Amino acid sequence: MSKKKVVTSTGVEVRQKPLAMRMFNHIGYYVMFLPVALFVLVMNYWPMLGVRYAFHNTKFTTKGLSLEWCGLDHFEKMFATDAFWTSFFNTLELSIMKLLITTFTAVIVSVFLNEMGNLFAKKTLQTIIYLPHFMSWAVVAAIFSLFLSPSSTGMVNEYLRDWGILAETDKNIYFLASQGWWRPIFYIINIWKETGWGTIIFLATLSGINPELYEAADIDGATRLQKIRFVTMPALGNTILTVLILNLAKVMNMFESVFVLYNPAVYEVSDVCATYIYRQTFAVAMPNYGYTTAVGLFRSLVGCFLVLVCNWASKKVRGRGII
Amino acid sequence: MAEKTAYRKPKTKIHLFDVMNYIIFVILGLLILIPIWKVVSDSFNAVGVYQFKLWPSKEYFTFDGYRTIFETSKLYRPFINSVVTTIVGALLGLVLSTLGGYVLVQFEMPGRGLLAYFLLITMVFSGGMIPEYLCMRQLGLTDNMWLLVLKHGINVYNLVLMRNFFEGIPASLYEAAKIDGCSPMGIFFKIVLPLSKAALASIGLMFAVTVWNDYSTVKIYITTPEQTNFQYQLRNMIMDGDTPTTSYAVSQNTLYYSGIVMAILPFMALYPFLQKYFVKGVNIGAVKE
Repeated sequence: MSKKKVVTSTGVEVRQKPLAMRMFNHIGYYVMFLPVALFVLVMNYWPMLGVRYAFHNTKFTTKGLSLEWCGLDHFEKMFATDAFWTSFFNTLELSIMKLLITTFTAVIVSVFLNEMGNLFAKKTLQTIIYLPHFMSWAVVAAIFSLFLSPSSTGMVNEYLRDWGILAETDKNIYFLASQGWWRPIFYIINIWKETGWGTIIFLATLSGINPELYEAADIDGATRLQKIRFVTMPALGNTILTVLILNLAKVMNMFESVFVLYNPAVYEVSDVCATYIYRQTFAVAMPNYGYTTAVGLFRSLVGCFLVLVCNWASKKVRGRGII
Repeated sequence: MAEKTAYRKPKTKIHLFDVMNYIIFVILGLLILIPIWKVVSDSFNAVGVYQFKLWPSKEYFTFDGYRTIFETSKLYRPFINSVVTTIVGALLGLVLSTLGGYVLVQFEMPGRGLLAYFLLITMVFSGGMIPEYLCMRQLGLTDNMWLLVLKHGINVYNLVLMRNFFEGIPASLYEAAKIDGCSPMGIFFKIVLPLSKAALASIGLMFAVTVWNDYSTVKIYITTPEQTNFQYQLRNMIMDGDTPTTSYAVSQNTLYYSGIVMAILPFMALYPFLQKYFVKGVNIGAVKE
């Protein structure tokens, strides 16, 4: 057996101890890892075995879950179902649009926040715009559905009436149940909730810009807007790319934000993969667990592919992966 | 040293740009604050219809919304559940992510890479909603609020954040302690944890917010009303019309808005004091150039 040489921190070259001895020396650490390993095994790995349901017909009997092999039947059914494809393309469109819109607004807000000279005003504003991030989606949905409600308590409709945009004879608009309105409202709520939080990472980058760059621009006679255009924005380029890559990996995860805001009237424009799976399982009398597992497996695989692509892109762009 | 400097202090000139900037940001701040303010003020307002007032007039001012919540068991039980699961969940999350993070920085430990991969795989692939549900059902954990704690207790992303933080602690500290005869556990408790208070605060808060705000886990796994959390009960009441019978003649809207205030109060109240920890949590995760 060849003994490897290792260099200690003091620079002395010593022979590496045998594996068993090194393991014994670290026994305390293995014990510390044990609870983590147990949790991950039960909460993460065990459900992974459940993907086999995608190839089975499943039924809950008195003895537990009974499985019956059915090959790729569920996948064939899935690819032939329109509702599935609607949900799949909705997932892509809603999450990519949301990502682009909130990143764009976050960049704009942080650039102008960075221009703010008064430190107190800047800090106060930061505190305010971070606030909505801590509200749950359930609460945000409740607030906005109350405001947008078509009843006489709905703030938005009352204003539209006051300002004469809605005439006497018009009915109140039921925003969240209208196919035309749902998506814009969804994006607006996302902007309201997440823009502020999104600025943190950009502000951190902006505070790292060398002030000499601005001084040099001053000497060259640059105006404020020119400084933003030629000093601030280029400095943000890499961070924007990073944020986009990190979030692109999570595109398939979209669930709760849609789940709390959608309703049967707007399934066509709002249904995403996860909500489709939820409905097919928990909102039907005889859930076909095999079929919904198959949809979930497809979703996980697409998500997995996206993570790996983004990891590769991240390594290219900034020299380290995202996982 | 009061030497005269060669240059004068430049005159403060008011730029159009600055004025516009401040105006835009005041509007932006109001856009965020008005909905929140409206919720708070309407929770004290007994009028059932919409009225734009910054604060309810005296004759309509009421605490009935809050009283109803505290005296209706269908509402305060979930609230207590939420508080308990949030505290336990944050503690469990902290314990697991510090233990795991600490083990992952033991660079001389055989099998460290394997353990790292063991965790990272879960970030790339997951069983999905239905297999997870069926597993929990077979384990008999559905319909139990402690499932919330278990589900959020392990979060590999937070564990990796913790690991990144521990990596920043100089290795010489560990070695000095080891030479002085400190055990791994001793190093962990006496050296590593005291040095990571800020990171512990950030990550503990992240866990707490996640557990407190979780609605969909309850929706998927829990059906018994006694085991639900406040977010779930609130949403049920507002969106699905499941208003509990109460002893007060409180208007529906007042009750709804009071519920929303109760659901956001804990973190809104703590948040201004803890802002730096929240922000730090984002930055240790993302900007590590």
